[in-house]
Amino acid sequence: MASKFREQWQDRVYRWMRGRIKPASQVKLNQKIIYILPSGSGLVFITAIALVFIAAINYAVSLAFGLAFLMVSLFVLAIFHTWNNLNRLSLSGLPTPAVFCGEQIPFNVMVSRDPGRSHETLELQFHELPGQGQQTPGHSHSSFINLIDADRDQVKVFALARRRGYYPAPLLRISTTFPLGLARAWSVVDLNMHCLVYPKPIPFQMEDFTSGSGGSDDSNISREGNEDFYGIREYVPGDPLKQVAWKSLAKGQGMQVKEFVDYVDSRIWLDWDMYYGSSTEERLSRLCYCVLQLAKRSAPYGLKLPDIEIAPGSGIEHRDRLLRALALYGETGEQR
Amino acid sequence: MDVGYQIPRASLQWILLSVLLVIAPQSIYMPIWISLIALICLLWRYLIFIGRLNYPSRLLRVVIVTFTLLISIAQMRSLGVGLESASSLLTLGFVFKLVEMREKRDIYVVMSLSFVMCMVAFLYSQSLLISLYVALCILVIIAALIALNRSSLEADAGSTGRMALRIALQALPLTIVLFLVFPRIAPLWAVPVQTTGGTTGVTDEMTPGDLASLGRSSELAFRVQFENGPPPLHQDLYWRGLVLENFDGTTWMRRRYRSVYGTAAERGNFQFNWENRILLQGEPLEYNVILEPTQQPWVYGLHLADPLSRNLFQSRNFEIYNNGLISKRFSYDLRSYFDSQTDLVLLDSARARNTDIPELGNERSIEFARTLRRSVNSDRDFVYAVLAHFRDNPFYYTLNPALLRDNRIDDFLFNTREGFCEHFASTFAFLMRSAGVPTRVVVGYHGAEYNPYEDYMMVYQNNAHAWNEVWLEGEGWVRFDPTGAVSPERIEQGVEAALQDDLAFMEQSLFAAVRGRFSFINTLRLRLDALEYEWNRRVVSYDDEVQVELFERLISEITEQKVLLLLIGLASLVIVAVGLSVVSLGPRRKLDPVDQLYLSLTAELNKIGLARKTGEGPLDYRDRVVAARPELAEIMNDFTALYVAINYKAPLKDEHIARKQLKALKQQLSNLRAVLSPLRSLRNQQ
Repeated sequence: MASKFREQWQDRVYRWMRGRIKPASQVKLNQKIIYILPSGSGLVFITAIALVFIAAINYAVSLAFGLAFLMVSLFVLAIFHTWNNLNRLSLSGLPTPAVFCGEQIPFNVMVSRDPGRSHETLELQFHELPGQGQQTPGHSHSSFINLIDADRDQVKVFALARRRGYYPAPLLRISTTFPLGLARAWSVVDLNMHCLVYPKPIPFQMEDFTSGSGGSDDSNISREGNEDFYGIREYVPGDPLKQVAWKSLAKGQGMQVKEFVDYVDSRIWLDWDMYYGSSTEERLSRLCYCVLQLAKRSAPYGLKLPDIEIAPGSGIEHRDRLLRALALYGETGEQR
Repeated sequence: MDVGYQIPRASLQWILLSVLLVIAPQSIYMPIWISLIALICLLWRYLIFIGRLNYPSRLLRVVIVTFTLLISIAQMRSLGVGLESASSLLTLGFVFKLVEMREKRDIYVVMSLSFVMCMVAFLYSQSLLISLYVALCILVIIAALIALNRSSLEADAGSTGRMALRIALQALPLTIVLFLVFPRIAPLWAVPVQTTGGTTGVTDEMTPGDLASLGRSSELAFRVQFENGPPPLHQDLYWRGLVLENFDGTTWMRRRYRSVYGTAAERGNFQFNWENRILLQGEPLEYNVILEPTQQPWVYGLHLADPLSRNLFQSRNFEIYNNGLISKRFSYDLRSYFDSQTDLVLLDSARARNTDIPELGNERSIEFARTLRRSVNSDRDFVYAVLAHFRDNPFYYTLNPALLRDNRIDDFLFNTREGFCEHFASTFAFLMRSAGVPTRVVVGYHGAEYNPYEDYMMVYQNNAHAWNEVWLEGEGWVRFDPTGAVSPERIEQGVEAALQDDLAFMEQSLFAAVRGRFSFINTLRLRLDALEYEWNRRVVSYDDEVQVELFERLISEITEQKVLLLLIGLASLVIVAVGLSVVSLGPRRKLDPVDQLYLSLTAELNKIGLARKTGEGPLDYRDRVVAARPELAEIMNDFTALYVAINYKAPLKDEHIARKQLKALKQQLSNLRAVLSPLRSLRNQQ
């Protein structure tokens, strides 16, 4: 009951933040967007201050007063230093390679500082929606970065790819407790990062996809056919005279024969309709699996989706085009 | 957090070090087995750290907690609920937590407890040494906190330590302001202060002849600074402590009042119109005393002393008592009247008390006294006669006298004839009383060592002394020191001079023996003590009284609002200043001295309206300036030529030439200033 209420509350907070934070590809942290509160450890420390202070009062020990005041000063300083550890940092999003649905997306974030400043132990973490983060073990990975010598550094921040398509990164939370850990400063930004998420491939027993006459996968050429000219080779006794290249014989190039082959239609078409009866996502997942399998072979393959048709081809770029089409199937928008 | 938080390895070393450091001073006061357990826990944690041992199991933890509880109950029964039992319990909990800490929150509990342990160290002692030690502890604790929050592999122990030092230094200003202005609050509830160390210093009973040797240490008893004028002569430094009036034949005792002087009513009992009993004469002498803890309620002062500090009050015998036991270093102010006289009229009850001797025993002495009294005319002459008897007969001053038997006074006076101040004071008082002259014994300290480095005096435990006060008609109570009759050196130069050949005494204070011979050790000792004294006077004894005094000096009239305003104002000022310094902490790029000079040149020219435009080269700028102000041509040419030569040509390897050029440049700049100043005033007139 309580946890449900808490979930709802966090959900509302998240939505509120999402509405308030403007996406921007580069953000410089300043006093308007850095928040700071005592951390849990800070509360423990405050309790210790109270303890020392009460003892100082009761025993009227001058130096214990001094100690209590030193602790207060340290606490105040910790707030300044921690806040300053975030201040004037610049964050920007970098392109992110595509992943499959259900995997962790390594969003690349560039963190850079003003010259002459030093920042340590910055924790970057995606602000996962409550209730969803718990589904995976060790849900929200946080990544740490230091800017001590270098002016800028890249860091990978992981978020779970929850659905296929052009997946926007959740709100990015950058926080720090450095140097004393008594206060936590944080800021939540939206770097307008997106990641292409392919459908999750579902393995299954693949049938042969070839349409037209059958043929082995090793070779799509059936030798010694008679439809298409293939090339010229030396005459071997027994070759039919019909195929002797008389013209080249006349040129004095010796006895040669023209070779002809029959082409098998070995181009594979992955068709939306092949998995008739499955749900859209299931179809996409199966198609995705097929694409990955076929990409390992050399046969060209094409894709037919209800709204797009990609002619057969091969190579990594071709594969990525197909995967992209699968990922974005049904999505509207200019990202296509 | 089930995934397993890993304590950064670098920080664990710092944590272990800080725990070791904060426990060490406590181990002096704690039972030895607690220190042992603490050490075992530290070792255990270290073994976990290097992977030899595992964390304690759940069963073991339950056993340990039960054990600690039982032990602490047992301790409270034997020691009582006090500082000792509380601090040992705290230590046990602290080290057990250390062993089982795994998560960040646990570590913060341990680190916060480390601060509390530092506070406990201050409860026992606030000396300069302990303060410096605690400062070191705090530095290490801060370093541990930093190491805990660092993730960089480049960060080494050195940089962590430096960072800790920087943060500690930044914390100082606010600490000092808070320390100075934060209102001190009266204790919320009474706390029993217990220490294993017993009472020190002069006791309220005196039994001459009981001890075969007097074990007086060379420990410090108190420090004194005279505020208005030079300190009195050494032979006048009689630090009055207690007046012992009751004598039962062996032991002198003070008149028992109530043992605790806690309530206002009891204190009021002491407050009487003492001006009627005294005759004040001469200039008063004001001084401040910082007394080492004695666990006793009385304090020491010169002659007739009027307490200026709160919580001090006078008894009927002009002793000074504190409102409670002195369990920590105690600073108080006194005003003494050296030429004053007290009790010019002696009450009958007081006369009866001060002439009372036991009815039985010491008949020989009584007879001797009465005979002697009859041979002289006045009480004063009688005093001199007795002192002359001590002086003219073979009486010896020694700290290792023979034990006295049965009729102790007789035994001493006619038989052993050797002893220290107690023997002489006791015998003298007995003889006086036998002849009906009101006499009492006073115990306290005599003498002092002067510390020239901070201009104050040090009184040691071996300065403890006993003397007498005799009531004389028309003079009141007059001080006499029979020890002085036997050993004038003791009174004029101190106990060390009197006992130069006394081997036993020198053994007792080996350091004291050394200090006379090596002057540099002596100097060092005095300097160290001067530091300690300053620390005590300025920091440790800073309490609400001193605070109010300080405020009164700053703002003439104190109101709560003003104090609050001052506190808030000062604290926020410091917080803002520190905050700004932290936030804009980025190291500023240091300008090259040559560039700096050039910048001041352009600033000068800017004042007469010839600012350098952005992106304008030095040569173009020179041409423009010369065009506008032809009279500057020479200086501008020289300066620019030098600047360009230094700045744009290959850097000079020769330091010497570079410095020479820089000097020339500076000269040019001052020339320019001289030329420009009339121009500027002209411009201003326009």
